[in-house]
Amino acid sequence: MKFNKFLLFMIIATFAVVLAACRTDAGEENGSKKNNASAKVSADLKGSVVIDGSGTVYPLMARLAEEYMVNEQENVSVEVSRAGTSAGFKKFLVDNGTDFNDASRQIKDEEAAEADKLGIEVKELKVALDGLTFVINKDNDWATEMTPEQLISIFLADGTVEKWSDINPDWPNEKINAMGPNENHGTYEFFYEKILDKQDMKSTVNLQQEYSTLVNLVSEDKNGIAFFGFGYYVNNGDKLQAVAVDFGNGAVEPALDTIAEDGAYADFTRPVFTYLNVNHAKEKPQVKDFAIYVMNNINKFAGETGFAPIPENEAKENISFLEGLK
Amino acid sequence: MNHLSQQQHMRWMKVRLFTNQLSKVIFMLSAFFGLFVLAVLLYRVVSEGIGSINFSFLTGKLSTQPERAGIMGAILGTLWLMLVVAPVTMFVGVGTAIYLEMYAKKGRLVSFIQTNISNLAGVPSIVYGILGLTVFVRTLNLGNVVLAGGLTMSLLILPIVIVASQEAIRSIPFHLSEASYGLGATKWQTIQRVILPSALPGILTGAILSLSRAIGETAPLVVIGIPALLIPFPGSIMDRFTVLPMQIYYWTLDASLVAEYANLAAATIIVLLVTLFILNSTAIIIRNKFGKVE
Repeated sequence: MKFNKFLLFMIIATFAVVLAACRTDAGEENGSKKNNASAKVSADLKGSVVIDGSGTVYPLMARLAEEYMVNEQENVSVEVSRAGTSAGFKKFLVDNGTDFNDASRQIKDEEAAEADKLGIEVKELKVALDGLTFVINKDNDWATEMTPEQLISIFLADGTVEKWSDINPDWPNEKINAMGPNENHGTYEFFYEKILDKQDMKSTVNLQQEYSTLVNLVSEDKNGIAFFGFGYYVNNGDKLQAVAVDFGNGAVEPALDTIAEDGAYADFTRPVFTYLNVNHAKEKPQVKDFAIYVMNNINKFAGETGFAPIPENEAKENISFLEGLK
Repeated sequence: MNHLSQQQHMRWMKVRLFTNQLSKVIFMLSAFFGLFVLAVLLYRVVSEGIGSINFSFLTGKLSTQPERAGIMGAILGTLWLMLVVAPVTMFVGVGTAIYLEMYAKKGRLVSFIQTNISNLAGVPSIVYGILGLTVFVRTLNLGNVVLAGGLTMSLLILPIVIVASQEAIRSIPFHLSEASYGLGATKWQTIQRVILPSALPGILTGAILSLSRAIGETAPLVVIGIPALLIPFPGSIMDRFTVLPMQIYYWTLDASLVAEYANLAAATIIVLLVTLFILNSTAIIIRNKFGKVE
């Protein structure tokens, strides 16, 4: 049995050595989580910033978090998750909840009421603009330009449009296969409430949980059409083409400059947000510092993650609000 | 007495031999089916992921840029998780087994506990995740840290460790402990000096196999809430963490935005498979080496 004990000893020793080796890296940030009361405004901040919420906003916030940790405050740990807008609000609106909640829609009245009840002061920070993009198959050479009314008619339940030829007699006499993200997504809510104006959607619209599924379905179906955020189109531009929309002044392709605030595609553009727990920002200097960093740098990283920038003056207003927090 | 004609006899013989061959082929095919699926899986994963495995991937920090991303954080997170799971399951699991086998009087209570342990072993892992979220993360207010994750995983694999330890203790010949009692040893002395040393190989095998299950589990951690982006390495059991299977899950989701993430996920699967392979081999070596002693 001697060898047995030796083996056990070796296993434990290996664990210990490996863990001791990595302690040097992370050891110092330990324990610092508790001393958030000593509000230092100086360069060296410690502790953590916890972010959850929308999966649409996640790529942008994760990018900012990484840049912040690499270039600004290496002892601050910014943790980004993506439970979804509504699930994120559930983690945000509790005692000791998350510091930020990313949202692809505005906070709902009942969520705001819950925050009041808990005494959480919430600040809405608009972080970027996302263009609702309609995508069709690469082989579709007829429906490359449409008006908003034509696009809406494809999804409406009133039964006037079933085939492409119902929109334009020159188009194929084939059934349109309409698709989109399902009710869990802020993108669906935006489409249903703001674009369809809460009119009933066809029950035959194929609603999916994963954006990757929509990309695959449309890229394999000549009669397919789907809608989602511009970012998912940009990253799959080799498999799909976007419908140019004619809002009255000629067809406009969704692009970073057209989905901007006063761009030509603005009618199909929605803002995306992150919601800040102001109490946390007052208590923890690293939360406030990161919030200011986000507003200062958001427009630098919006483009590469498929979002259009927000107007500079809106960012500035938020920065002066944040800097005034005590 | 009827004599079978030679001809008829031969015909029956043929049928019997054919059935014999057929059953052999059918069972051989079912045995190779698993192997075939494994080969396809390995081929896909290795061809997709092997190109991404290099020193900087293994030792680097997590990143939103696929070309810079590394999995050291997930490897250390897995180690930290094991550092909680291993002692907790060993102590509680072996303790339960010793109580049930050595101390408890066979009766209703023991069979009640026994039935419940068997039932717990069949509970889906996501249910343990919900339990962990309610008890450790929320009620005890630990947060989604290593300790909370480790305790949840311990609960998940405890039934397996208990059953394996019970089998190991039960398989020790009765005359060994009788001899110990005969020499005037107390019960605890017998357990400590006779039972546990002989049962250790069996206990260790069960423990290592269940640890490798804990390393590969994702569902309970999804429920507990592991950050999708967590760059600093965990430094204590009260730090937030990520583990290899969670990283595979997140990178598979990310692949719909940036295709390179699929390669990173495949590379992480290779690392996880190698880890599991090493653990399971250790279990087999221990079993073969010490199984003979008795």
